[in-house]
Amino acid sequence: MALLKKSAVWIVFALTMLILPQIFDSVLGISILNQMAIAIVFALSYNMLLGQGGMLSFGHAVYFGLGGFLAVHTLILIEAQVLTFSIVLIPLVGGLFGLLAALFVGSFSTRKAGTVFAMISLGIGELAVASSLIFVSFFGGEAGISGDRTYGPPFFGVEFFQDSEIYYVAAAWVLIATLFMYLFTQTPAGRLANAVRDNPERAAFIGYNARWVRYISFCAAGFFAGVAGGLFALNYEFLTEENLNAITSGRVLLMAYIGGLGYFIGPIIGAVALTLMNSLLSNYTDLWLLYLGLLFVLTVMFLPRGFAGLIMMHEVAWRRRTLKTLARPYLLTAIPASLFLLSCIGFIELAHLEGGSLSYLGMMLDPERPLTWVVLVAVVLASFFATRYSLPQLRRAWDEANSLRDEES
Amino acid sequence: MSILSLNNVHKNFGETAIIRGVDLSIRAGEKHAIIGPNGAGKSTLFHLISGRHHVSSGTITFKGEEIQNRPPHEINRLGLARSFQVTNIFPRLSVFENIRCALLWSQGYGYSFWHLLGRQTALNDKTAEVLEQISLQDRARFPAGELAYAQQRALELGIAVASGAEVIMLDEPVAGMSHSEAENAVDLIRRITEGKTLIMVEHDMNIVFDVADRISVLVYGEVIATDEPKKIRGNPRVQEAYLGEVVTGA
Repeated sequence: MALLKKSAVWIVFALTMLILPQIFDSVLGISILNQMAIAIVFALSYNMLLGQGGMLSFGHAVYFGLGGFLAVHTLILIEAQVLTFSIVLIPLVGGLFGLLAALFVGSFSTRKAGTVFAMISLGIGELAVASSLIFVSFFGGEAGISGDRTYGPPFFGVEFFQDSEIYYVAAAWVLIATLFMYLFTQTPAGRLANAVRDNPERAAFIGYNARWVRYISFCAAGFFAGVAGGLFALNYEFLTEENLNAITSGRVLLMAYIGGLGYFIGPIIGAVALTLMNSLLSNYTDLWLLYLGLLFVLTVMFLPRGFAGLIMMHEVAWRRRTLKTLARPYLLTAIPASLFLLSCIGFIELAHLEGGSLSYLGMMLDPERPLTWVVLVAVVLASFFATRYSLPQLRRAWDEANSLRDEES
Repeated sequence: MSILSLNNVHKNFGETAIIRGVDLSIRAGEKHAIIGPNGAGKSTLFHLISGRHHVSSGTITFKGEEIQNRPPHEINRLGLARSFQVTNIFPRLSVFENIRCALLWSQGYGYSFWHLLGRQTALNDKTAEVLEQISLQDRARFPAGELAYAQQRALELGIAVASGAEVIMLDEPVAGMSHSEAENAVDLIRRITEGKTLIMVEHDMNIVFDVADRISVLVYGEVIATDEPKKIRGNPRVQEAYLGEVVTGA
């Protein structure tokens, strides 16, 4: 019974991954789900460094990319019939090479955490990008390298011509990788990573070398980043320099941070949210990267514990059964706040417009007419002050919902 | 006999000599206090013994092994644990995790990533036992950083003794506590260091004379006397250098 309770969340996780492709069965839907699967493993591996180990890395894509490149090379070798094994094992190949790279880099980069570690990670990232343009036979230069996943021996009759077939492979790997990354947090090495993050000096005085503790986490993170890289190789069948450069490293940092570093589930939320933004928002606006940047800045400023932290904030109210008293106050703030957000976006989009008029929320906004701007600015200001005016009532309701009642204090 | 001995230990920070030829011999099982005026080098001496600082010259021998200039984690593994003057815990870990982490090495887990902590019954029982000793069992699930000051000090003591080290070094364990808190802390120190060697730096003379079997007086980086409390009170050099009226008044 206890085991069932513990595994319940994993069963729900697995079922969700099985059901999703039934609902979103379009080509776009499957493509987004595959991207999510890759992003989840990658973001979770990043959080082993930053959230759990206190190591701020600007070069985590190196292990993702190297794992991916080796995975594509393995696909090429399978195609040439030098190797013969099912391509469902490709993520493991990626993982092993991610691990190998981390074993080497970590041997000197984990000596110190903090700025030193961050700077080394940045340097290694730049080094990898430079190498990718120098060692053309391995990295394929700017064009990258490509393989074909359909040449391996069929896996129970499946030959992986469809992205949807790859999805189930990816989902299985997500489940395995997530489970092992979670279990790692429950081992001495995983818990000591938290201890070293909090206070490396104290860790030394309980018998542990902070460097070794960091090294172990670093290698594990490298392995799972490589697994994610292998999944990428299976899904896209090609890799370029872009997959190990600073942009990819930055994106995984954003995923983990926006999702919430302090919670195991945080990076999963971040990976899902950012993948959706990346693939859906970009259909509507060229400015989606600007909005992503704003989201990141706002998260750092107002939600330092990320989306997961925002959800977990409500735990107390949930336990006290006062959550429903918050519905109305939330709504009262949400209405002017959404109006503020929408009018700001309208303003930005209008300013970005090059000729013509903007069709926005069913309205045609003409940048040539001064009245458009006046009204827009008026709405921005009015909704801003309305939001501010609504905050005290939300704060009161929040305190009320979270305060100790007499019988509990 | 002597579990820890310092032989002509010097420590310079740049041009400044902080420790100037300390000879000190700690007997196994004794409660040894190190006292001295501010700036005498008491904390520095602790840092040298525990490996936080390197010595400039001289030797430190622990259980027959020279330990000067070795990294702190190696010294700790030999059986020497310490607390800090400024509270030094793992603030984001729970109280329970703080103690459990402190137990891991001595319980033989090393850097294991193949044991699941939840299943280590003996380890978890031992953690609970230490928590009970330091009376923090009700706070087990709290983040350590959110404890009250006196509780954090108790936790710090717990981390120091959890590993089962034979020698416990406490740097001003009751500093900043109220009178009643200090009394509780002294009781706690007595209980958890029973049968172990205790080396303690402390400013509160009542506590020092109460707890210590022997006292060393450190003045300007030199030990000017090591003796039983009674004889330290009567030692004219000590009175002149440091204690003066405090002793006469006590």
